[in-house]
This record gives sequence, C-alpha cells and structure tokens, in this order.
Amino acid sequence: MEPLQARGDEKEGISSGERGMLQSIITQFLSGFSVVAILVISALGLAIIFGVAGVINMAHGELIMVGAYTAAVVGKLGGNTFIAIPVAFVVVGLLGLIIERGIIQWIYDRPLETLLATWGVGIILQTVMKLIFGPELYYVGAPKILEGGFRMIGRLPFPWYRLFLIVIAILLLALVFYVIFKTNLGLKIRAVRRNRAISGCLGIDAARIDMTIFAFGSGLAGIAGAVLAPIKSVSTTMGFPYAVDSYMVLVLGGVGSLWGVLTGGALIGEAETILSFIFNNVIGRLLVFLFIVIIIRVVPRGIFGYYERR
Amino acid sequence: MPEPAVGDHLRSVGRSERRRYRAPPFVPLWALIGIAAVVALIGTYPYYGSNAYVLSLLGKFLCFAIFALSIDLIWGFAGILSLGQAVYFGIGAYFVALSLKINYALAHPTRYGGTFPDFMEWNGLTELPYFMTPLISTPFAVFCALSVPTLLGLLFGVITFKRNIYGVYCAVITLAESLILQEIIIEYQAYTGGFNGITDYSNYATPGFLWFILAVAVVFLLIARALTHSRVGTVLKSIRDNDVRAEFMGYNVANYRIFVFCVSAFMAAAAGALYAAWVGIVSFLDAGPVFSIEGVIWTAVGGRGTLIGPVIGTFLVKGAEFFLSGVLASWWQIIVGGLFIFVVLVLRDGIVGSIGNWIRKLRKGATLHQLIEESDQKAHDRQLEWRPGGPPPTDEPVP
Repeated sequence: MEPLQARGDEKEGISSGERGMLQSIITQFLSGFSVVAILVISALGLAIIFGVAGVINMAHGELIMVGAYTAAVVGKLGGNTFIAIPVAFVVVGLLGLIIERGIIQWIYDRPLETLLATWGVGIILQTVMKLIFGPELYYVGAPKILEGGFRMIGRLPFPWYRLFLIVIAILLLALVFYVIFKTNLGLKIRAVRRNRAISGCLGIDAARIDMTIFAFGSGLAGIAGAVLAPIKSVSTTMGFPYAVDSYMVLVLGGVGSLWGVLTGGALIGEAETILSFIFNNVIGRLLVFLFIVIIIRVVPRGIFGYYERR
Repeated sequence: MPEPAVGDHLRSVGRSERRRYRAPPFVPLWALIGIAAVVALIGTYPYYGSNAYVLSLLGKFLCFAIFALSIDLIWGFAGILSLGQAVYFGIGAYFVALSLKINYALAHPTRYGGTFPDFMEWNGLTELPYFMTPLISTPFAVFCALSVPTLLGLLFGVITFKRNIYGVYCAVITLAESLILQEIIIEYQAYTGGFNGITDYSNYATPGFLWFILAVAVVFLLIARALTHSRVGTVLKSIRDNDVRAEFMGYNVANYRIFVFCVSAFMAAAAGALYAAWVGIVSFLDAGPVFSIEGVIWTAVGGRGTLIGPVIGTFLVKGAEFFLSGVLASWWQIIVGGLFIFVVLVLRDGIVGSIGNWIRKLRKGATLHQLIEESDQKAHDRQLEWRPGGPPPTDEPVP
C-alpha cells in the first residue's frame, strides 16, 4: 500500500513534506472526532438545562466533576465505566433535583441571577468534594476491553476508548433526540418551551417539567463525568473548562437546538484540533474563540438559534 | 380597552404620588460626610496604625473597590453582566507591572549580568524583546495600561452590542475571553512571567500612594455619580429595565451600552494599574474568570445599582475573608458559595439597596422606580385578564 501511494504522489509532483503535512492534517481531522465527541457529551446536559429550562447553570462543570468522582468511587469498589454510567446518572440526577428544589425553582424568572446562584452551588460542590476526597488527584482506568487501540491511516495511534467516546456521544444524542421528540414527556417539554402560559392552560404542570428537565440534564452531566474520568485525572477543579467549552458550543450552535449542539461541537472540536496542531494549544483556542465571535456577529442567536418573534 | 400609551405609567401613578418623589441631590450630605470620614480613616492609617500587612490590604481593597465599581456601572446601571471584567483589570496591571519590572531590572542587574527582567532570562531570552522597549518609559506604560483596555472594551462593544448580543451571550463570551487571556499569560511565560506572575519590582507602597489611590477612588465615585445622575444615566437605567422600550423611544441602545462599557473598562484598567503599582505582584489570577466573578459578587453583596454598594461589599467580603479564611480554612469557601445563593434568593438588592428600601419604607414614601413598577404591574394584569386564575376584568368591558 505504502509504495503505491508514494509513486502516485510523485506523479502528481507533491513533495513528501507537503504530503506529510496534508496527511497529518487528515489524521488530526480524524482524531478531532473524539474531541467533538467530548464536547457533545459535556454540552448535552447543559443544552437541556440552558436551552430548555433557561437556567444558566454555572455548576455544570461541577456536576461533571461529581460524575467523575462517582466513577472513581465505582472504580474503587471494583466496577468499571459501564457500571459507572448509570450510577453517575442517578447520583448526579438526584443532586440536580435537590439543587432545583432548593434554589433554582425560586429564580426561573431571573436568568442572569441563576448564573450567580449556580456559581455559588459550584463553589460549595467543589469544597465539599475536596473535604470528602482530599486534594489529591484520582485516576480512573478504562474498562479492560477498551484498553489498547488501533492505528489510523497516518499510523497515528487511536485508542479504543476514544472510539468508545464517539459511540457514547452518538448514543446520548440519539437518546436525547428520542426523549425530546418521541416521548410524551418530550412533547410536554417542547410545549412548555414554546409557550409556558398556554401549556399551563392545557393542563401541563410547567414547574414539574422544569424540575424533570433540570434533573435529566444534571444526570446527563453525570454521565459525561463518568465517561470523561478515564481520559482526565479527576480533581475538584476539573469541571470549569468543560463548562466554558459547553457554553461556547451552545452559543455557537444555537441555544435550545439539539442540532446546534452537534454542529457547534463539530465546528469547535475540529477547528481546535487542527489549529492546535498547526500552531499551538493556546493560539488554537484563541483563534477558535475569535472564529466563534465572528460567527456570533453574523448569526447572533447561533447557527440553529431560535428567533423569537417580537 | 385603549392601548396603554408610553406616558401612561406616570398618569396612572397619580398626582399626589408623583409629588412624593423628589430628585435626590448630586451628593447627599450623609454620603459626603461618610466618604470624608472613610477617606480620613484609611488615609491616616499609616500614621496611627503599625501593621504593615493591614496597610497593604487597605490599598488592595481600594483597588478592588474601584474594580467592583466598574462592574456596578455596567451591571447595576446598564444591565450588562460581564464575567470578564478582570481582562481589563489584568491588562492594566500587566502593563504597569512590566514597566516597573523592566526599570527595576535596569537598575538591578540579574545574577548573570542581564539588564532585563529575570523571568525573561530564565525562559531563554537574551535581551528585552523589541516590542517591550517603549515600556521603559513608565508614563507611556501607564498610558497604554489605560488606553489599551478602553479600546478593547470599545472593540468588544462594537462587536457585540451593535448586533444586539447581550445578556447571557455577553456573559458567556466575556467569560471565555478572560479564560483565554489567562491561558495566554500562562503559555507565553517568557513575556508575562507565566504561572509565577511578575514579582520583585520596586512598588509604590508609601502613604503618599495610598492617598493617591484614595483620590482616584473618590474621583471615580464622583464621575460615576455624575454619569448615573445625568440624562445619560436615566437612559442607561431605562435600557436596563426595558431595552426594547428604550429603543422604541428613539434611543440608540447599542451606543449607550458601548459608551458605558468603555467607561467601565477604563475604570477597571485604572484599578489594575494602581493595584500593580501598590501590591508589587501581578499574576494570571488577576486576569482570570474567578476574579471577574468575585468582583460581581462583591457588587451583588453591597448592592448593585447603588454607587457605594460595591465599595462596601468589597470591604465586607474581602475583610471577612481576611479574618475568617484563616480560622475556617476550606469552610470559608462554603460560606462564599452560600453567600452567592443568599444574595440571589434573599438579599436581592444587596446590603445598601436593602437598607435603602428599609429607610424608604420607614418614610412611607416610594421611589419613582417602584411607582413605575407598580403601575406596570397593574397594566400587565389588565392585559392578562383572560388568563384563568388571573385577576377579574376591571372597569371597561372588552369589545
């Protein structure tokens, strides 16, 4: 395979340096899919909470963090990621339920202030986790079957776990699509989102729907934490960058649109991987940020944004 | 039923209620006395107090108070929540710190005889980078420290407010902005000192400089008062309360937002410049999102929409941190988190705002703002009379 390709390239007069560059950009593009998957996984929970319930949840990163610690505890008790996923969903979902009942339910009408309150929740969660688990880092191993990897076209090693992340991202996205568009609950959620007062008239308990949404979104954040734990050391401050990335994904893709999560995640993930490869990490992030700002300037409500008539 | 007209609020408020509202003076007497007392108390500390640490804290808190004031100006008076105000603070601080460090290095050669900052030497530079040579002149650095953030604020304002990007979007973009600035500072450590920040330069920790910081703080308070007390301030408040209505009344909402954002960026930059000169250490944390949000919470605790609120909030929260964080260790963080929630759920107007409400209640008067809100609510209820569970229809029959 290899010599054939080389001959073909010589024929077209491409120098080996250029070919190497092109090839590595292609491999970067392929490995960028796992970054996209990470972004989609971490942004999904927020897309539900922010896009549907309208709560600016700054504790999203901390919910991911709690999910990751849950995975660490499950790992200590002898389980693996497959067991950690449902456990984290339940644990963090219940935590989200408590937060919603205790704090968020009083401030739905003041979105910017939910930001402050949930930031406070985030600080408390960080400190409590630090008091319980101590300041040291935890490492969570990937499940046995997902160890190792294969080599891609550019002979870049591609771990099975990254492929697993891509599969999980697709499954979660499908799950959320199913819940929102095919179930009775999803119908009510969409009704409340479209017109709160009218859906209240039709007998939908809007407060209950909000509660369900917040708990469900938190549970998704928990799954994100459990899935991301093996690729990152688990610490109390691990969540914040994920939260900011998730917000950028939503702002770019359009708040309240699931297709927006996918598009935003894909654009940011691929752009960041390729630009980071060409320049360096920080310049890559800076360029992606500028790119997002430019796109936002063209479409202020995001690519799949919902434009309300006023 | 007639459509409610623009001036309907005041008409339905009624003549007697309207007379209850009197425009406040430019600087009320109690505020004048209070500010003079506080200035005297802080300014003379070097002469009666002996604790050098407390002295350094006082100057630091004053800079933080100016920073909180800059947040209050945009958040409390124009409704723009920026979570990246530390970007302007940090840039101002880094310009001044770099300049002072370069001058310090010129006077004190490093161990290997270099006459440029030591952190650059550790990172493999052999001489001062050419683009930093103008910073040898401290006045130029101060000029940059004030103008660059203001221009950045202008740029940001033109990009976002002109396209009607505000609220949550603005908050998220500013948050990412400060996170990225922080990453840039850490990454390019040869030029910024990286993780350790810029330390070891001759700072101005003298009583005279404390008076200077005080003077700047008072001047900024007066500027902010003049701004919010003027016609521009009224327009800004109307934009905060209802931007669509302000736009319909013919005001260019975007330009007002950009203007106040620039003023606020300027104040934050000045606070940063003073901070760098006073404390003598600047790190990436001073440009990061956590510091930005801390500023927001000081403002919220003190009372947004009031001018002395942020100052009081800063001194209370930072002072409490100084006294309690040593005793309570990490429980202090839980208290801070709880404070956020408490301010949002219970103490909505902050300390100063709540005291103001309480005094108003004692006097049995109401502010214009409250009267408008009341009559707005009445108009709203009238419009929603068809809603099940809503108020019953009032006087006029529905056609």
